[in-house]
Amino acid sequence: MKNILLACSAGMSTSLLVSKMEEAARAKGVETKIWAVAQDKAESEMENADVLLIGPQMRFMKNKYSKVAKEAGIPLDVIDPVAYGRVDGEAVLNKALELMEKK
Amino acid sequence: MNNSKFMDLLERILMPIAEKLNNNRYLTALRDGFLVALPLIIFGSIFVVIANFPFLDQMLSEEAYTAYQEALNPASAATLSIMGLFVIIGIGYKLVEHAGGEGIYGGVVSLAGFLILTPQVVEDTAGGIPTSSIGAEGLFLGILSAFLAAEIYRYFVERDWTIKMPAGVPGAVTRSFSALIPIAMTLFIFLVIRIIFSFTPFDTVQNFIYTVLQEPLTALGGGLPATIVAVLLIQLFWFFGLHGQILVNSVLDPIWYTLNNQNLEAFQAGEELPNIVTKQFIDTFIVGIGGSGMTLAVIIGIFLIGRSRQMKQVGRVAAPAGIFNVNEPIIFGLPIIMNPLVLIPWLLAPVVVAVFVYVSMAAGMVPKPAGVIVPWTTPPLLSGFLATGNAWQGAVVQLFSMCIVFLIWWPFLKIMDKQYYETEKQEDAAAAKE
Repeated sequence: MKNILLACSAGMSTSLLVSKMEEAARAKGVETKIWAVAQDKAESEMENADVLLIGPQMRFMKNKYSKVAKEAGIPLDVIDPVAYGRVDGEAVLNKALELMEKK
Repeated sequence: MNNSKFMDLLERILMPIAEKLNNNRYLTALRDGFLVALPLIIFGSIFVVIANFPFLDQMLSEEAYTAYQEALNPASAATLSIMGLFVIIGIGYKLVEHAGGEGIYGGVVSLAGFLILTPQVVEDTAGGIPTSSIGAEGLFLGILSAFLAAEIYRYFVERDWTIKMPAGVPGAVTRSFSALIPIAMTLFIFLVIRIIFSFTPFDTVQNFIYTVLQEPLTALGGGLPATIVAVLLIQLFWFFGLHGQILVNSVLDPIWYTLNNQNLEAFQAGEELPNIVTKQFIDTFIVGIGGSGMTLAVIIGIFLIGRSRQMKQVGRVAAPAGIFNVNEPIIFGLPIIMNPLVLIPWLLAPVVVAVFVYVSMAAGMVPKPAGVIVPWTTPPLLSGFLATGNAWQGAVVQLFSMCIVFLIWWPFLKIMDKQYYETEKQEDAAAAKE
């Protein structure tokens, strides 16, 4: 089971991605739990996650999250703006899987 | 080449500003404080809407209508009108929790500190706190008190000025004692501040903050020039793909909410509303037409004139969320970010609409925002109706605003669509050859 955490300002726009990513994961046959949270919840949710992806409009949170992510031992990155705009679940899922593998 | 250098430069300036604004300890606590108050604010707002349903005043006798309103008013009086109290608790809680302390003591010490600085006389009768002091008038003092109280409290906890309990004493007992000295010291300092101010011409701290800080700042923030600057900043941040609204909100929310609650007080008293620019002016009439940049009209424009596959695709993806004012798909998908072609309509449309709505309200054609807080995800037209205290003009002005946005965007959308269309045609031709 791969736990993928998404974070943006209110968890609204990343939640658009959640169902698309779930679809892509089913098609790939990967078992995942994907959920989106508001920026203030991201730090406490990290302990339940294997990877954190940040909405590009909140990319100024990356430094702050990096410290907590390091403690939690999970990789993180900012979602590619183009994939974000297209709500491209597959691209974002691949990115998440790639980050987890690298670790 | 110069163009991209300039973009790089702006990005390098804006990113650190965004990071500082968003991660500043006090601004974070402030945002969290408003978040704590939000469910109560919305509960109160719902009852302001119900208490002022249209035509009810004509259907019911005057007596019945008054009784109806009086029965419902406590719902908003205990929540929306005194939201400052909940914001204070939220700020104190979050600041102390963030520092590793017991959040709840941070919340209560902030609240008590604020109440110490608040006038405790109503029309020469001691033993009462004027509701206005814990409403709109007290919001600035409340926020500052919460910052100060949480910091002093934290200072004493970190210096370990606490009563130590022997081992074997239950944890809850230990905790209540460990908070005793820091709370007592904090509130004692607040009491000293209150006493000092009683010897000044301002008499109370609340009066001082209100006169020196709140009144000038809200007067400035409530004006059209400051609003245009705020709107332009939001748009500029977003142009670089940074969440401008959340950044600007974190600084201006105290002003916008104060203006909002002044209107609420007047609305419920049946008096003329003092302010045009309020929290709801921004949320409903600037952001609330599809999200920052009022992109619902852009999506409609795409459906009307889009011929290229890319445009149509963006429109389809962006439309469902756009109705609820979530517009990242169109901002990143069209794209709007870093796209010099749309910079003009992107900056211009919200400013023109802000002036248009402002003038419509100033001229009395559209009622001013009534102080009801409508969640920002409420679809346009409905949100305009609710925000103006159930006035159809509020919906109509949003409809006109959408037309304005559409007209400003129209030529630019045309050019963009044509470019995409030509590229796609070439790609198709190349694919056909193969």
